[in-house]
Amino acid sequence: MKEFAVFWGCTIPARFPFIEKSVRTVLNGMGLPWRDCEGFTCCPEKSLINNIDHGLWVLTGARNIAIVDEQGLDLVSPCTGCISNLATIKGELHVDHRKKEEVNSMLKEVGRKFTGRAGLNHLVPFFHDKVGAFRIKSAIKKDFRGMRFAVHYGCHMMRPYHALKNDDPLEPKKFDTLISWLGGESVNYMTKLTCCGQGLDRVDQHPTALQMARVKLKELKSIGVDAMVLCCPSCFLQFDNNQFLMEKEGESYGIPVLYFTDLLGLAMGYSPEELGLNQHRISVDGFLEKWERLWAARDTEKKIAEEFKEEGAFI
Amino acid sequence: MIEEHLDFNLLRKCADCGACYNVCPSCLYIEGYDPRAVIKDILKGDFEKWLHSEHIWQCLECHQCLELCYQHYGFENAMTAMRLLATKKGIHPAQVKRGWDMFVKTGRLGEPAMGQRKRLGLPEPKKSGKEEFLKLLAIYKERKAQEKNRGEAEL
Ligand code: SF4
Ligand code: SF4
Repeated sequence: MKEFAVFWGCTIPARFPFIEKSVRTVLNGMGLPWRDCEGFTCCPEKSLINNIDHGLWVLTGARNIAIVDEQGLDLVSPCTGCISNLATIKGELHVDHRKKEEVNSMLKEVGRKFTGRAGLNHLVPFFHDKVGAFRIKSAIKKDFRGMRFAVHYGCHMMRPYHALKNDDPLEPKKFDTLISWLGGESVNYMTKLTCCGQGLDRVDQHPTALQMARVKLKELKSIGVDAMVLCCPSCFLQFDNNQFLMEKEGESYGIPVLYFTDLLGLAMGYSPEELGLNQHRISVDGFLEKWERLWAARDTEKKIAEEFKEEGAFI
Repeated sequence: MIEEHLDFNLLRKCADCGACYNVCPSCLYIEGYDPRAVIKDILKGDFEKWLHSEHIWQCLECHQCLELCYQHYGFENAMTAMRLLATKKGIHPAQVKRGWDMFVKTGRLGEPAMGQRKRLGLPEPKKSGKEEFLKLLAIYKERKAQEKNRGEAEL
């Protein structure tokens, strides 16, 4: 496997360092060849920067990509926004040579060069494609048989497709497949591919952001799932923090929210604390208890079967 | 000026189509959000009022419309163009300006939470590219100013 840099972005280290911890724990636990790189800035965020100055948006992204280009690394991000922005910028420069030259003439003045050789991917399709079923299944000690998950893809994991090319943009499958490798059931639900709506919180429209959060939470509450699993800090903000704000106002949904590596890490045998689960606003205790209960029941079943066998029963 | 940002041929087809209404989350769940109404006004040359509307900031840039669209165009292009024109006139949510200010000062939209990191046992974050970014920003601004001067001289 080619060595890769992890692009943390701004939101995870600033607001959700426990997600960073969860990702680090799993990457190290699986022994993957990854590195932290010096010199990154904001990806930059599309809705804020691109709406004001497209040229600066492209230039900043190109500089971030140049850092991994120079070191011959690929880049993997646990943030859907970061990876979508970087891939969009890379795609734009690939088809527009004049723009690429212009960008490089500026980058040259700070000693950098964008080639766009580095492969860019989000953590989830990366685990699906590059880590793969065999390594993941071999790393699992305790799977999630009997547990129901609501996968929330996060729009920018696989859109825009022309830039990312990592899953079907309207009917993605890879995240669901990962859940099935972990033994869990990824339930189908109507609003599965609906955007989280967190962007509204960045443009001073908090009540509308909450309204969007409700769309999914209401459906999940009514169909009943053990947890929602997602792969983006913005979506996490929307479903964990904002769900908590609503809960405080007496509007309770009780849907635990897990980051992808939380689930994988638990299956690998890491404790909830090692994955920072105790820092989530919406309690994950109910989820963990059910999981423990299922495994305890399996142990009892096994014991009974063994006792029967000792007594000569045909089972 | 608006033609710089939008392809009117594609927009015209869009005004007749409307397939996106069924996949666009903001169309489905936010009252009054209607990109096609904006597009029709753009085609009429009567879009000024939208620059002041909160609706142009409700496009989530989720790209559902782009992926579904048979022209690979999408409602979002019209909304992005509206936001660009609005910000050029200084009309935008206060939060957008705050984010922008922080970005051009620090190269980031938030600094690592050091206390929490320590408690979690996370390593020191790697040095950011702030200084180099600020240098690059100065170069970029200079180029833009030069271009503008050249443009004015040619006029
Ligand atoms: S990108 Fe904007 S206009 Fe397009 S579907 Fe998403 S919210 Fe709707
Ligand atoms: S963006 Fe494309 S699919 Fe959507 S309404 Fe316009 S033409 Fe139709």
